Amino acid sequence: MSMPLAEEHEVQHLPVEFADEKESIKITGFWMFLVTDVLIFGSLFSTYAVYRGAVAQGPSANQLFQMGPVMLETLLLLTSSFTIGLGIYAMRKGNVKALMGWMLVTILLGAGFVGTEIHDFVSFAAIGATWHTSAFLSAFDILVGTHGAHVTFGIFWAVTLLFQLKKRGITAQTARKVFTYSLYWHFLDIVWIFIYTFVYLNGKIV
Amino acid sequence: MPSFVSYLIHTLFPPSVRLPDILLIDVGLVFGIIGIVVFLTKTGRWGSLWRDWLTTVDHKKIAVMYLIAALLMLFRGGVDALMIRAQLAAPGAHFMPASQYDEVFTTHGTIMIFFMAMPFIFALFNAVVPLMIGARDVAFPRLNAMSYWLFAMGAALFNVSFIIGGSPNAGWTAYPPYTGLAYNPGPGENYYFLALLIAGLGTTMTGINFLVTTIRMRAPGMTLMKMPMFVWSTMVTSALILFAFPPLTVALAMSLFDRLFGSSFFTLAHGGMPMMYVNLFWLFGHPEVYILVIPLFGVFSEVVATYSRKALFGYPLMVVSILAIMFLSYGTWVHHFFTMGAGPGVNAFFGLSTMLIAIPTGVKIFNWIFTMWGGRIQMTTAMLYQLAFIPTFVIGGATGVLLAVVPADYQFHNSYFLIAHFHNVIIGGTVFGLLSALYYWWPKMFGMKLNERQGRWAFWLFFIGFWVTFTPQYFLGLKGMTRRIYTYPAGFGWHQLNVISTVGALIMGAAFVVLVYNIVWSLRFGERDLTGDPWDGRTLEWALPSPVPEYNFARIPVVHERDAWWAMKQRGQSLAGSLRAEDVHDVEMPKNTPIPFLIGVSFFVMGFGMTFKWWPIAIIGFIGVILCLLFSGFDYDDHHHLKADVIRNTEASLGRLQG
Amino acid sequence: MSEHGNTALTIKEAYEQDNDKGLKFLRPHFAEEKFPAVQIAGYIGSLVLTFAAYFLVMNHVLPPAALLAIILALAVFQAGLQLGVFMHLKESRGLAWQLIPLYLVFLIALGMVGMSIWIMLFKSGVS
Repeated sequence: MSMPLAEEHEVQHLPVEFADEKESIKITGFWMFLVTDVLIFGSLFSTYAVYRGAVAQGPSANQLFQMGPVMLETLLLLTSSFTIGLGIYAMRKGNVKALMGWMLVTILLGAGFVGTEIHDFVSFAAIGATWHTSAFLSAFDILVGTHGAHVTFGIFWAVTLLFQLKKRGITAQTARKVFTYSLYWHFLDIVWIFIYTFVYLNGKIV
Repeated sequence: MPSFVSYLIHTLFPPSVRLPDILLIDVGLVFGIIGIVVFLTKTGRWGSLWRDWLTTVDHKKIAVMYLIAALLMLFRGGVDALMIRAQLAAPGAHFMPASQYDEVFTTHGTIMIFFMAMPFIFALFNAVVPLMIGARDVAFPRLNAMSYWLFAMGAALFNVSFIIGGSPNAGWTAYPPYTGLAYNPGPGENYYFLALLIAGLGTTMTGINFLVTTIRMRAPGMTLMKMPMFVWSTMVTSALILFAFPPLTVALAMSLFDRLFGSSFFTLAHGGMPMMYVNLFWLFGHPEVYILVIPLFGVFSEVVATYSRKALFGYPLMVVSILAIMFLSYGTWVHHFFTMGAGPGVNAFFGLSTMLIAIPTGVKIFNWIFTMWGGRIQMTTAMLYQLAFIPTFVIGGATGVLLAVVPADYQFHNSYFLIAHFHNVIIGGTVFGLLSALYYWWPKMFGMKLNERQGRWAFWLFFIGFWVTFTPQYFLGLKGMTRRIYTYPAGFGWHQLNVISTVGALIMGAAFVVLVYNIVWSLRFGERDLTGDPWDGRTLEWALPSPVPEYNFARIPVVHERDAWWAMKQRGQSLAGSLRAEDVHDVEMPKNTPIPFLIGVSFFVMGFGMTFKWWPIAIIGFIGVILCLLFSGFDYDDHHHLKADVIRNTEASLGRLQG
Repeated sequence: MSEHGNTALTIKEAYEQDNDKGLKFLRPHFAEEKFPAVQIAGYIGSLVLTFAAYFLVMNHVLPPAALLAIILALAVFQAGLQLGVFMHLKESRGLAWQLIPLYLVFLIALGMVGMSIWIMLFKSGVS
């Protein structure tokens, strides 16, 4: 962890989003926001962990979860995380067209994820598994729902960024905005990995 | 139509709150608002209100707004306290109905913690932290303004409950199942949850803002170990806010969803566990206690060093102990509910971790005492609060260790012993610290000193009133008087002690009146601070003129040692008079914006709509929030350049320009 | 490039300007990106980890407790992959300050979940 600075760092210039001091401070600030969000999800995971068995008269995790849609959602989100990563790669190369292309792909994959998730929730509601039914379902709905709301917000955010990129190209400010957006998106991917593991797969272990 | 009107009246003014006093206050409020509107119109100040205050992003002005809000809320919370004491002064008393008593102690606690102490602390952060670290503003000035307006609108929403719909009545902790719809159908608890969610959002942003400010905005040369202690305490408090507020947000949101959208988090019938709320609430609540006191540890470290005219004793140890407190404060939250029935392992763990915190706190106490040792102590009002703080906080801390002994806690739990303990640390630590800071930094904020003689009167009244109020409460607790009790029969032997306590509360009320008189008097006749350094201070804020110009530093200072300003003075340097015209350059300043204010208003509208489940209003507020976010996303015009000439002229008129 | 008029610095120069450059464990590190091989490897890695967890669970290869421990370990590993490969965890102008709150918050989140489960077991003989 405490490697010395690499040799190329003596000649390598800061990427554009870090080159401007004010913008780089905003990136630090965004990391701090992500820290608070980790704990939002931490609290939701705590609640889910405690309420896992509190199924009352409702279905249990094992009865409820269908792994098909879950695997599809996982695949969509993992891929979108990869595509926004390629977008940042393109941005660092100064290629605004490629950046916008990858962002568009990310948006579409994200929309596919949200669509699948909504479909999943609707099918649960159809068999009476709403969050009124049991504490377990309340905890499940708020955990997965908060994540889904984050993804939905991220989609709208990316759309506004596309307009800004189209108008202004890659500047210190737009690059910083896209970079923080990518941090947000990868972070949601990490949260989903834990939902996938701790909620869905864990529900199938029993 | 008539049925709609009667519905409106019934919802807004349910029979339980249609009391003469509240109607009287409603009328008074209406006249008050009309009076303010007429005053602003007649003196033509609407424009200046909008330009200088509502749209400002200047941290110094935001500090003033926080301070005004905090003092107003101190008044409101104090009146609540006096009403509680009036009700308890005699056995079998019916000073007010039981339902209203429940509302009064709930609003007292909530307002004092969230809407008095927190904004007062943020007023201090805003007023001095950028000055202490040699910066021109905080890291995110617009976010800072937004934090303020979210806090202000949260506070406003909470206070509206008093006049429309009925106040929350489940204590400041709002434990379910009593906050569930089944037991608490009115809008009061909705107000509580929504107001705290909105204000909490603002607080989280403040935490992010000041953490990044202290990390990234320090003047060249100011390494971590050269930061003033108050900056350290700001950094640690901000980190605590980051880690503490999310669990609160989640707990509040879950309770709110149970009430508004029929989820089953805390309703027993569907497997919910009310104790899970308690767990999450105190996951926030215990770090919150340290959020409330660590900034004041910073204040005391500055005050004691300045008025003892000595460097702070054991600075590295102070840093280590403040960090130790930060870590330990995350491992103690169960001591607020030892009696819930967790296993002995759980209680033993959290009892021990609670006692451990006494060690770093003790280290700090000794360091303050050693700082005074051999110093030339000046007995100013700020220093008096410091001297009062040490024994008061030690006694409050010691009773806290008693409460941490689990078997004993089964007796003390939710008795007046607990009430006395936490007032002893929160008033003895936080409020004494806030008042000390008020006297210490007032000249920097407003350009004149607070009158010392009046200040000493306020201090002695407050200090004596405090002990007279809370000493009897320890004994009341040991005699079995429980928290939130409405009234008691005559034969329990509680009467005399309660009378003494009420007398003490009246003395504290008198202290508040003297304090307000002191402030008003000093604003008109107070001694002007012409040097900018009235106390012969040690840290960079005293290098600047009072009040501080918009851009703070005409030239960013370079820091070489701890207590940078003191060291400069020792070397015969000063920022005043040494500034050369060619060293002044154009300065980039953040531009004023109405968005933070408008987003606050939108949140208020949304919260108000949700409180009464009036969805159209809530949706209007929500759309307002979205529009504000969209607008600020596309707004690239966020700064302007202050010309070097303007700065030169200002500095010259202050006599600070060379030649 | 910058709209605020800063001159472009090298990564090393920015680091040298930092007040606290003595904190060696916060040294920034930027990936040198010629071809997005790291991203592709990261993507494939996360897919492998995801499906490995899926097959372990669906075939019930181990007792439940061991299975849960293993898939959680896989998740943590995959989170580290995302942070390192895609989130440019150690990139910063000057010191990578975000590392401290990040490590802390993972500790706190883990403690929060673990302790909450422990506390809410209600293992008291009397209550």
